[in-house]
Amino acid sequence: MKNDTINLAGVYTRTIMKSWFQYKVDAILRSLAVFLREATGIIVIYLSLLKFESLNGWDIYELLFLFSLLFVTYGILILFFTGLRDFGGTVRNGGFDRFILRPRGLLFQLIFSNADWFAAIGHGGLGIVLFVFSAGKVGIVWNGGTILYYIAAVIGGVLIQGAIFLFLASLNIYLLETNSLKELFYWNMRKFAGYPISIFHRAIQFCMIYVVPFAFVNYFPSQYLLRKEDMAGYPAICMYLTPVVGVGMYLASYGFWRYSIRFYKSSGN
Amino acid sequence: MTKFASYLAFAKKSFLGRSAYRFDHFMGILNTILRIFIFWEIYRALYGGQSEVDGITLTMVATNFVLSMGLDAVFFVNDYYLTDRIQSGSIATELLLPVSFHGRMLAENLGHALFQLIFHFVPAVAVCVFFIGMEAPAGIPMLLLFVLSALFGYGVLWTISFAVQMLSFWLINVWSIITIKNVFINVLSGSMIPLWFMPDWMRGVLRFTPFSSIYFTPVQIYLGQLSLSEILRSFLIQSFWIALLFSIGMFLWKKGQKKLVVQGG
Repeated sequence: MKNDTINLAGVYTRTIMKSWFQYKVDAILRSLAVFLREATGIIVIYLSLLKFESLNGWDIYELLFLFSLLFVTYGILILFFTGLRDFGGTVRNGGFDRFILRPRGLLFQLIFSNADWFAAIGHGGLGIVLFVFSAGKVGIVWNGGTILYYIAAVIGGVLIQGAIFLFLASLNIYLLETNSLKELFYWNMRKFAGYPISIFHRAIQFCMIYVVPFAFVNYFPSQYLLRKEDMAGYPAICMYLTPVVGVGMYLASYGFWRYSIRFYKSSGN
Repeated sequence: MTKFASYLAFAKKSFLGRSAYRFDHFMGILNTILRIFIFWEIYRALYGGQSEVDGITLTMVATNFVLSMGLDAVFFVNDYYLTDRIQSGSIATELLLPVSFHGRMLAENLGHALFQLIFHFVPAVAVCVFFIGMEAPAGIPMLLLFVLSALFGYGVLWTISFAVQMLSFWLINVWSIITIKNVFINVLSGSMIPLWFMPDWMRGVLRFTPFSSIYFTPVQIYLGQLSLSEILRSFLIQSFWIALLFSIGMFLWKKGQKKLVVQGG
């Protein structure tokens, strides 16, 4: 049974890969376009820092490192959570009804039957490029401890964002349409996340820590590894909480999903 | 004259069509305000208390962001106008209409842009002036020249999109090309990094591209940074780009029409 599940996940993945990469030149161009579009903010900050020395004490490599965590986590996230990101559409066009009829877990199907490979390659590739470019130049001693911390932070960061998607997907069952909420709470907050949150207004910082906790995705983990002065403004414990916040949020969202799914009514088709 | 009236009708339809999406519109305004806010905060941190850098004050930087990102919201161009019509096949019937295709495209874009000016630009800029503040224009004549220069700037932006869209005749999927085009505009037009702070070699390269003519030239006029002769030159440069890009677009349009094969529709 267990083996069978893994097989099924493999079949799903191969099918998606085949359909996405049907047109090779187009696939390469698409990945490049996503890569460049996402790199826009970084190119801009890079050019700005040729003129100015630092952004609130962060030099260019440290900022690139901060950015890299955001993209690495999103690249992994999008391999698993595209189905939840685009769940609204699945509910509206009735596709979710098909999932219900199949003899497999709903979340399993949503996660494995859909993965946005262009976004994953574009975002993840950018994250890796930035990491390679910056990790050796920011004074991090890479040993067993820091590597383990880094992996835990990435997993935590993926879970935090996955929990947000799962929560919004659950809301879809009641509201049918949550794209605007996603725009407001996910994409808009994410715009702030590329930069040290200490430069922003206190209200924004509050949102980034307590409401849509992007600070735990990249700012606090980077602080643990880089120890910049502006960390003094926040409790030191924050640097260790990323995995806890990730697992906690994910479990809460999963509970909400299980609760909400009982109320699912087809949109009719 | 009747022809003009039909373009006006297209513009009006496009203008009124926008009012249907209230919540989306509200989110769009919020989006613009947040973008301006983020970049202003970044530059405030970069300045780190200095009153000016290279003679540029933080208020001037704020003015650059408010105006260029505000105009960015007004300068609406539907990058997929032609693509959508080729893919749906409706291009076949539209080519038979007694109005020109690009005239109609421009009219619809302008209708949308006017809507954005009134209901997006004005509230977004008002909020930013209240929370961030910006420079007053360098006199009434400069304000009028700024408006004129911004119109030309829209012309440059529109013709870039016009020329790039024509690739739809040859490529099935132009999304990638259009996305890459927009990355160039975002980085090089000065809306995300004021061009005063670009490295010198980059400014040298930029002089041979149309990008700084879109937002940065109007902003410089607004701030009174250009002399009258420089302003005159800037209008010539903008006109040059509009003429060149439009010719390229028309050339591709003529070639593409011959090649056009509508699949169903």
